[in-house]
Amino acid sequence: MASEDKAPRPLGDLERLVMEQLWAAPTALTVREVHEQLAGTRDLAYTTVMTVLDRLAKKKLTDRERDGKAWRYRAAAPREELAADLMRDALDRAGDRREALVRFVGQVSDEEAALLREALSRLDSQERAG
Amino acid sequence: MITPVLLAVLALVLTGPAPAVLARSDWPYRVPRAAVILWQAIALAAVLAALGAGIALSYSIAGEPGTPKFDPSSPRDLVAALILAMTALVVVRLLWAVGRVAIGTRARRKRHRDLVDVLATPDGLIPGLRVLAEETPLAYCLPALRGARVVVSVGALDRLDDSELKAVLAHEQAHLRARHDLVLEEFTALHHAFPRWVRSDVALEQARTLVELLADDDARRRNGPRPLARALVALAGSPAPEAALAAAKSATVLRVERLADPAPDERVLATLTYAGAVTLLVLPTITIAAPIVKAIVDAVS
Repeated sequence: MASEDKAPRPLGDLERLVMEQLWAAPTALTVREVHEQLAGTRDLAYTTVMTVLDRLAKKKLTDRERDGKAWRYRAAAPREELAADLMRDALDRAGDRREALVRFVGQVSDEEAALLREALSRLDSQERAG
Repeated sequence: MITPVLLAVLALVLTGPAPAVLARSDWPYRVPRAAVILWQAIALAAVLAALGAGIALSYSIAGEPGTPKFDPSSPRDLVAALILAMTALVVVRLLWAVGRVAIGTRARRKRHRDLVDVLATPDGLIPGLRVLAEETPLAYCLPALRGARVVVSVGALDRLDDSELKAVLAHEQAHLRARHDLVLEEFTALHHAFPRWVRSDVALEQARTLVELLADDDARRRNGPRPLARALVALAGSPAPEAALAAAKSATVLRVERLADPAPDERVLATLTYAGAVTLLVLPTITIAAPIVKAIVDAVS
């Protein structure tokens, strides 16, 4: 786990940048168009952009269609829609989704919130006493 | 004929009354690590006892030992074969459930990770940390063999100070390090493997709570109980669509109250719990193995 993230993760970072280009674009973009937009700010090979777009298509985050010899890519869904999917998956406890996402804390009722604050103040007073 | 009856009774007790009693007790929360092992032993022993009952019954019905030939004209042998086939069916069903849960969980988790990677920004505070631009306070981990993620929303960051955030991250990293998701997966698979009319949510719910306590203990050892308790209170009561809550105290309340009380030395209780777990596993194994070993000894002598 540690080694994976200490090294720079260029592809993961690029995926986010490329998706942002696709979300912002009014139409589907070719690899060349995405490359031109990104090349302005960073030193990027055309083939790298091609690889990233291919990976995104495999992950079903982009749709692609043939346009002559080139592929045109568009985001599979608007950003808000994917974010809503993600939030639903992260919050929904139905369907045994808890196993994929081990959450820090769940929902509590009002009475339980009172119990929580009480326990916390007990802990705080112990700290002061000790 | 006594062995299959004993094993069947043991299997029934371990699927129904025993989990119900254990779930109502408070002591497992004092020794979460041993309690997780005990729950796993109960589940495994129930399965072993059920399978053992089938095998032993089939074995005691089918003819005398020493004539292991299957005779299709004998009704006794047919019944024995049928029982054996049903036992095999239980095994298949169990394996099917384990496989389906494993595949389903991994597919959903992978999709979720793909979404996190394009929607959330990396943060160098700990490896694999991603910050999600959402107001809903949220902190969770996405376990994986390689490339696990810890996701924290902006809403959560707003509510936590530095020490509280550190406590939350320590808690999530404890889940990842100990692969608590695999423990939960076992119980989910078992939950799905049992027919609807005998299964209950008790074991799965308890396992969920116990792994939270284990991660809490890890975070408490690193940063003390206070930041973690404050973080729990700060993030609890978030507007999550989990409105339907049982009348029982939620895991969150239990966790904060547990942090507020100084942890006593529970070595004796833990040892007893471990011993109970081992006994449970040994019981059905010995009852199944003993007659088989005896038969083999009889056959060769």
